[in-house]
Amino acid sequence: MNHKRFLYLDVIGIAASIVLAVVVGFIIIMMVSDEPLQAISSFLLGPFSTPFNLSTVFNKAVPLIFTGLALAVVFQSNVFSMGAEGQLYVGGFTGALAAAYIPGLPVWIHLPVILLCALAGGAMFGAIPGFLKSKWNANEIVTTLMLNYVGIISTSYLVNNWFKDPGSGGFARMQYFEKNLLLRKISDSFPVHYGFFIALLSVVVISVMLYKTRLGYELRLVGKNEAFARYGGIKTKRLIIYSVMISGALAGLGGIVEILGVHGTYKDNFSANLGFDGIIIALLARNNPVAVVIAALFYAYLQVGGQIMQAESDVSRELAVIIQVLLVLFVSAQAVFNYFKQRAVLKHSQSHATKGGKKDHVA
Amino acid sequence: MWLNVWAQIADLTIIAVLLRCMTPILLAAIGGLISDITGVTNIGLEGLMLVSAFTSIAVSAASGNWMVGVVSGVLICVGMSYAMAFFHIKLKVDIVITGFAMNIFGSGATIFLMSKLFQATGSYNPSNLDKIPVVNIPFIENIPYVNKLFSGHSLMVWIAFLAVLFCFIMLYRTPYGVHLRAIGEAPDSAKSLGIPVGRLQYSAMAWSGVFVGLAGSFMSMGMTSMFVKDMTAGTGFLALAVVLLGNRNPIGVLIGSIIFGLAKTFETIFQTIPNSPVPSQFVQMMPYVVTVLALVVFAIRKQNRQKKGLVAPAAAKS
Amino acid sequence: MTVLLEMRNIHKTYPNGTIANRGVHLEVHEGEIHALVGENGAGKSTLMKILFGLEAPTSGEVYYKGSPVHFQGPRDAIKHGLGMVHQHFMLASSLTVSENIVLGDEPRKGPFGLFRDRGKEIQDIQSLVDRFGLKLDPNAVVEYISVGQKQRVEIMKVLYRGAKLIILDEPTAVLTPQETDELFDSLKTLVAQKYTIIFITHKLREVMEISNRITVLKAGQTIHTMLTKDTNKEEISRLMVGRDVLLRVEKKEQVLKETVLELRDVHANDAKGFPMLKDVSLAIRGGEIFGIAGVEGNGQRELVEVITGLIGATGGQVLYFNENILGKSIGQIRNMKIAHIPEDRQTTGACLTSTIEENLILDVYDHPEFRFGPFLRKKKLKEFAKVMMTTFDVRAASEETLAGSLSGGNLQKVVIAREIAKNPKLIIASQPTRGVDIGAIESIHREIVKRRDQGAAVLLVSAELSEIMSLSDRIGVLYNGELVAILNNTDDLTEQEIGYYMLGIKKAEKEVVPRES
Repeated sequence: MNHKRFLYLDVIGIAASIVLAVVVGFIIIMMVSDEPLQAISSFLLGPFSTPFNLSTVFNKAVPLIFTGLALAVVFQSNVFSMGAEGQLYVGGFTGALAAAYIPGLPVWIHLPVILLCALAGGAMFGAIPGFLKSKWNANEIVTTLMLNYVGIISTSYLVNNWFKDPGSGGFARMQYFEKNLLLRKISDSFPVHYGFFIALLSVVVISVMLYKTRLGYELRLVGKNEAFARYGGIKTKRLIIYSVMISGALAGLGGIVEILGVHGTYKDNFSANLGFDGIIIALLARNNPVAVVIAALFYAYLQVGGQIMQAESDVSRELAVIIQVLLVLFVSAQAVFNYFKQRAVLKHSQSHATKGGKKDHVA
Repeated sequence: MWLNVWAQIADLTIIAVLLRCMTPILLAAIGGLISDITGVTNIGLEGLMLVSAFTSIAVSAASGNWMVGVVSGVLICVGMSYAMAFFHIKLKVDIVITGFAMNIFGSGATIFLMSKLFQATGSYNPSNLDKIPVVNIPFIENIPYVNKLFSGHSLMVWIAFLAVLFCFIMLYRTPYGVHLRAIGEAPDSAKSLGIPVGRLQYSAMAWSGVFVGLAGSFMSMGMTSMFVKDMTAGTGFLALAVVLLGNRNPIGVLIGSIIFGLAKTFETIFQTIPNSPVPSQFVQMMPYVVTVLALVVFAIRKQNRQKKGLVAPAAAKS
Repeated sequence: MTVLLEMRNIHKTYPNGTIANRGVHLEVHEGEIHALVGENGAGKSTLMKILFGLEAPTSGEVYYKGSPVHFQGPRDAIKHGLGMVHQHFMLASSLTVSENIVLGDEPRKGPFGLFRDRGKEIQDIQSLVDRFGLKLDPNAVVEYISVGQKQRVEIMKVLYRGAKLIILDEPTAVLTPQETDELFDSLKTLVAQKYTIIFITHKLREVMEISNRITVLKAGQTIHTMLTKDTNKEEISRLMVGRDVLLRVEKKEQVLKETVLELRDVHANDAKGFPMLKDVSLAIRGGEIFGIAGVEGNGQRELVEVITGLIGATGGQVLYFNENILGKSIGQIRNMKIAHIPEDRQTTGACLTSTIEENLILDVYDHPEFRFGPFLRKKKLKEFAKVMMTTFDVRAASEETLAGSLSGGNLQKVVIAREIAKNPKLIIASQPTRGVDIGAIESIHREIVKRRDQGAAVLLVSAELSEIMSLSDRIGVLYNGELVAILNNTDDLTEQEIGYYMLGIKKAEKEVVPRES
């Protein structure tokens, strides 16, 4: 039975889930708000109402694409890393150091150097749990969760004590980078920064890596069946480290792109859960790099919708968070999809049975 | 400053701090353990604790009775856990998504309700709070040193220890507990013997809610007497680490909680010392670094034991 | 003879159109051992699922003790006195033997029966142990007991629940010959006590040894039911496959070539650090099949893994064309034209969640002709996979089909295709026909012999003594990690003789060099 034939059912399932979540969300909004219609329309339509709002969706999606991609890669190699948050901070920090403290380079050299430093920082920090796992089989869920805090707190220490811009007061940050280092916007009316294209490029690179190269074949094989990969002569322990490092590099890249595209300098606690949101995005996208883009845009859309709702009505952003949670839950509800699929498959086979099962180009 | 630290160790203040610090970790870890053992890893501990912390302090302040507060915190937590179980078991949502959704929800919902109900943004600080009582044991409270060990601790500290015992008896001495352990490992086998796997997972999640709920209410009404947004700050994740580190066993979980409690204790002690030369971030990092180190030591030991053949002697051929 | 169970004219068509049963009759008498035989896909497991209420039959009736029944599921069937022991054990490994046996039906005590009555638990189990002679320690943790013991736990599970009719699905597939004998003894004890047994298998030797009557299924139909004493192996196999099966494999006259593999005083430990190979020396020349006989768990696994680099040795040398390959990586060894057909194709030999193509390209994907720098030449790889599938008669919709959806025989063909495709000089084949239907067994045997005739050296490890004896030129016997005998496979060599070595009763002077030819 060819499953591609039933792809449209996934689409129907997603649509049904969204409708369901939105209905539940509306009921909640009706209960707490005095102007529910305003709130609902702000939430749903707000992100599309102006080019500026739409561009915010894209900008918000950029770091999520990176972290979602980072986790899709490790998950495909069956390493359950939750470490993108910490890696994003460390990578962002090393990249920011290169941006703030390497003087006198032309931009076209400086920018790649910054990105490389971020990649390296994230990869190095990612290598720690990878090494611990491949050497001693230390549970990566625990090590990555804990190392997140280590990464966040130590970068916070460094930026508060050693690299703090004296002018930044209570809210620590580095000195602002030179303007020409920052990622430019597409246009003033549609201010999506060029980080979006770096993100898309990363998606292409990772897709090619996973599905068209030796490394990708080996990574996926290790993820699917480690014993088989080892038997086939693949150095599985080394690959686990590679995969966590690639993941860390992507998260680090996400960090520096966020800094160069949005913040203009390294700010303490700049991420706010981008790494954790990445986990949800990777899982929603079923670890498929291309689907990561869609999931990230969807997720960003919900966040922006919530903000607009907060600004334009009496419903606060936190309520949007709740709707967001419901949406994520419903969209990832396998049962809904299986229900549609089973019904279709059943019908399909029944129609075959009556026709004597001759040809199968019906559905 | 080292003198200062030493003084607190010597006069056993450290014990009181330790008990206070380990209680939420221990309770949450017991909650995590019971669901984990049935094959449902509850990553939503963090969010559940927040919900309970907020509910119990709000209800306690409104009703003037700590017990009503704690019970409602626990009930809400059980309800939320049940909802998680519904999404995971019935709707087949990935358990990690369910857990993170719970965390996001817990954080968002408490902040939303705090502003809606109390017009507070960062923290909620009720003036007339009936806290979880402190147990002073007559006679013992007057004996120096011994009193610090046994007297003057919050009731929840004792409940936490009882929870370990309860969990142990339930898992190993009742048929129900054996079923819980069986379904996590061999769900098909359990199913074929007529054990209702789904229903047991629901009940395990409910137990999880009970203990996590207790942990949450202790955070807002025992450890402190206020609710601060995102006040759990990783305690739930630490508890999750303790579950895995403690080898999914109540005694292991107790030992693990003591280790992390100690790390937290030093964090607390250092933070109270004025002009400490150790940067606060280093102290803050301690529990997490300790977890990673403990995990590595644990993993190395396991590996060595396997190499030396001390594990599984029964499998040896004569 | 009273009829205990009767299944009449069972038909089953699955919703996807597969027809699994098309008119099956099965009549089981009380107190007998009834063998149900048939190739993979003959409809045995569907029939059992219908019996246990896991599937509803499209048409047909089931009578138990004379009255029509429709069980609602295993639980219901158990209540009526039916019990099934599955081929793959369904045990919780961190629980104890007794916890597993009584799971779901624990003796209780205390208020509301809240607590386990562990005293009664042990007592109940002990009385079952005494009654049926199934030796078990109720307090042992299942993780640490042997395969044979695990099976006993499974049998105890159904006995504890009062089953009178016990169905065993391929019970000997995982057992050593000794354990098989013990199992057969227990089955005889059970039958003597009026228990009834349905024994599903495709090992004809066992059918002849243990059963009273035999029902043969083929392509979803009952072909014949007969008394065991009125038939023979050849007749059964003819009924099963519809043609005569070569039980003796045709081999060409042996042409020996240079020594391909030589082991000198090899020592090795298992994963837990126990010495499993002691002082093993042997030499295999091109054009020769060297069979390794032995009760499973006597070092066969370690022998294979040392040669293929999966584990290290603690001493000795492994020479391949006079070069020591100990310490080389698995990948290096694979690239030296050494083929390895591992004993467990489900986990080691294949990746079930990958496509057939991804399984087939394991050895070639990094060869220069199939890649361009770090990139894979997808078209060429696909072409390669297609060619392999036709050459080795792998039956599947396309090369994109998931390996996990293939039958045992087809999956093994994928493994063999991949391993043989590199034209190996040395083939290490471990249990190459385990769990494979008779048709596929034949073609696998032919392939191995063909390679030997073409000059490859073959190390064949098998738990089936008949397989070893029909294929090998020489036979080495492993006992307790030692190679206790190397015998020429001449016509006067008997199974009994090898059996003596396998059980450690006899020990021969070792002959390291191949025989003079």
